[in-house]
Amino acid sequence: MLAVAVDRLRPIVLPTAFGAGLLLLWQATVVVFDYPKVILPAPSDIALALHADLPVIWQQAIPTVRDTLAGFALATVLGVGLASLLSFSRLLRDALYPLIVVIQLVPKIAWTPLFIVWVGIGWQSRLTVATFIAFFPIFIAMMAGLEATDRSLVRLCRGLTATPGRTFWLVRLPASMPYLFSGLKIAITLAVIGVIVAEFISSSEGLGFLILKSAALLRTDLILAAIAVLCVIGLASYGLVHAGELAVRRWQGG
Amino acid sequence: MSTTAAAIRATPLAPAASAPADYVAVDRVRKVYGAGTRQQVEAVATSTFTIKAGEFVALLGPSGCGKSTLLMMIAGLDTPSGGSIAVAGRPLAAPRAQTGIMFQDPTLLPWKTALDNVLFPFQVASRPAIDGTRVRAMALLDRVGLEGFHHHKPGQLSGGMRQRVAICRALVYEPDLLLMDEPFSALDAITRDEMNLVLMKMWEEEQNRTALFVTHSIREAVYLADRVLVMSRRPGRIIEDIQIPFARPRGLEIGETVEFNRICGHLRSKIDHRAH
Repeated sequence: MLAVAVDRLRPIVLPTAFGAGLLLLWQATVVVFDYPKVILPAPSDIALALHADLPVIWQQAIPTVRDTLAGFALATVLGVGLASLLSFSRLLRDALYPLIVVIQLVPKIAWTPLFIVWVGIGWQSRLTVATFIAFFPIFIAMMAGLEATDRSLVRLCRGLTATPGRTFWLVRLPASMPYLFSGLKIAITLAVIGVIVAEFISSSEGLGFLILKSAALLRTDLILAAIAVLCVIGLASYGLVHAGELAVRRWQGG
Repeated sequence: MSTTAAAIRATPLAPAASAPADYVAVDRVRKVYGAGTRQQVEAVATSTFTIKAGEFVALLGPSGCGKSTLLMMIAGLDTPSGGSIAVAGRPLAAPRAQTGIMFQDPTLLPWKTALDNVLFPFQVASRPAIDGTRVRAMALLDRVGLEGFHHHKPGQLSGGMRQRVAICRALVYEPDLLLMDEPFSALDAITRDEMNLVLMKMWEEEQNRTALFVTHSIREAVYLADRVLVMSRRPGRIIEDIQIPFARPRGLEIGETVEFNRICGHLRSKIDHRAH
């Protein structure tokens, strides 16, 4: 009985304990060697900064989260939409798909300054970068999912005199869900990266802006506090996608 | 639902004035893959045969002889390289709404329940709704022995049960022509006997249909069919066409009769004769 409980808690307890141990070691190192706080603040300093500057961090977290989720949502619509469109037309697919794969090979972060030139330094550029960077994994996963649909199911639909549209909606779309969610999981983490980078380059708000400003002020503790909050945001948004996947999987069953 | 449509449904097979007694007419049909290339393969050699309305025909042949290709062409899922096919007096150009098809695999949608899979033909394509469609689907599932499994997903069913669901799906919209492509070949021998019984029962209860059943099992063909067509090895051509004399309803015990085994022996010699 106890052994079962221990076994079940193991995946939670073990990494938590190890993480706590690392934090303690960090704290001890800073105290024993008396590192200057500007170079390496102790975890306790970071906690204090988090507590003291929470209103500022919170205020800056809102635009970051907003732009991330908006970019992710837009990328999902565009990625799924374009992949679906290409699945209907052999001609479009053959013309566009190789191009998109080539563009995807370029490090997408490199385009960021260009977007700022094009759409300005406001939230629009952050949204554009997040959408752009999150689009590719979603599009490519969706293409793979649609192409991997069991051919015998498609043949069944043809035999039942279904239109391509009905076949898409009732068979190919549901069948590609596992692929789509693997793409969405990559995309959501990339969307956060896109927003932070865009905030680094040109912004007057957001956690990326806060990190950059804190660096200029040598507020190392505040940088790490902001990063801690980014961790939570990343985890929460990944969890959101995972919850969506579980919901779809439960609905699909079997 | 208009009265005319209801009347047509009530007598699905009473041939419309123009429909000939030959429900399926395969006229000099052949199939060549990769025509004009060096890998050109003749899958089906020029074949001509007919299936009468209400007849259950088995198309028997060794693996790879092109019998499935022939069935797919009658289903409208593959196009002949030459010749023509007519079903119910009309030349076939595309899959027909009133043809029921069973494939080698059950091809169920894994995310739908057994019942929803049976109802899938109505969901995926517009076809005349049959009054009480859902009730009919449930009754079909009960008749193939799936009481209590209506709301199970395919992953929770055995191979035989899945193929039973596929039978129901092929029958639910009351097709006038039922095409079956080795539907039980992936099942073990015992389950296969069971499935033959289920199919026979469904066939005998729901008359007024025409059926073509492709198989490589001689006994299965003789047990199920009114008439057996034998196809030679690739390129397949029809080399034998015999009537099976057993009365219906048929039980599995006819397989032990001398007559049954004599017919099987005759068919086997036909297939073997062309083997070399």
